[in-house]
Amino acid sequence: MMSRRMLTKEEEDAMGDEIEVRREDQDKINKFSRLHQHELSIEDELKAKNKEKEELDDITSELELADEDDTVPYKIGDAFFHLQLPQAQEMLGSSTERLEEEISELEDKMGNIREEMTKLKVELYARFGKTINLET
Amino acid sequence: MADAQAKLQSLSEEFTKLQQDLQETVQSRQKLEAQKQENLGVQKEFAKLKDSETIYKLIGPVLLKQERPDAESTVNGRLEFIEKEISRLESHIKEMQGKMEKKKGEIIQVQSSAQAAGPQAVKA
Repeated sequence: MMSRRMLTKEEEDAMGDEIEVRREDQDKINKFSRLHQHELSIEDELKAKNKEKEELDDITSELELADEDDTVPYKIGDAFFHLQLPQAQEMLGSSTERLEEEISELEDKMGNIREEMTKLKVELYARFGKTINLET
Repeated sequence: MADAQAKLQSLSEEFTKLQQDLQETVQSRQKLEAQKQENLGVQKEFAKLKDSETIYKLIGPVLLKQERPDAESTVNGRLEFIEKEISRLESHIKEMQGKMEKKKGEIIQVQSSAQAAGPQAVKA
C-alpha cells in the first residue's frame, strides 16, 4: 500500500528554505535504496528456503513410519535412486542441516541490512525531516 | 480552486489504489487457473490407472507411496478449494471494476465542475 505523504502548503512553508542535498546525502539515499532491494530479495530467498525445509521435515517424519525393507526412491539431480531407508534418512538429514545453515546465514544478513537501514533513516530524517519519505 | 485540485488528487490516488487491487486480483486468478488445469490433469491420469499401479507423491527429494483413495481425495479436495477461490476472486474483480467506474465518474464530475467554475473565477 502506498502511503504517499505529501507536504501540505502549511508544512511546506514551515520548512523554510529547501535543504541542500549534498553529495553525501545523495549517497546515503542511494545506499538506502540498494539495501532495500537486497532486503526484498533476501526475503524472497528466505521464504523459498523455509518452504523447502518444511517439506524436508515432513518427509523426514513420514519416513520414520516407513517399512525398513522398502527402498526409498530418492531424487538426485534428474534421476531417482532406490536407496535403503537408513541411507535416505542420512541424506535427508544432511540436506536439512545444510538448509538450516543457509537460512541462519540469510537471517543474519537480513539483520545487518535492517540495522544499516535504520541508521540511514535516522540520519536522513534528521537532516531532511518531512521532506523525505523513507517508508518501505 | 485549490479545493477542486485537492479533491482531484485524492480521487486519482483512490483510483490508482483500485487499479492496483484489480491487477493483483487478476494475477491471483490466473495463478489459480494454472493450478486448476494441473490438478485436472492429475485427476485424468488417476482415472486411467489400473488397480495394480502405484501412485507416488514427491515430498522434497523423496517419492512417497500413496494409497489411491488418499491421493484421489487430496486432488479432489484441492480442486474444490481452487474452484471456490476462483469464484470468490471473480466476484471481487467485478466489484473492483464497478468501483473503478464509479470513481471515474466522480473524477469527471469534479473536473467538469472545476472547468465551469474556472472562467467565472478568472473574471473576478
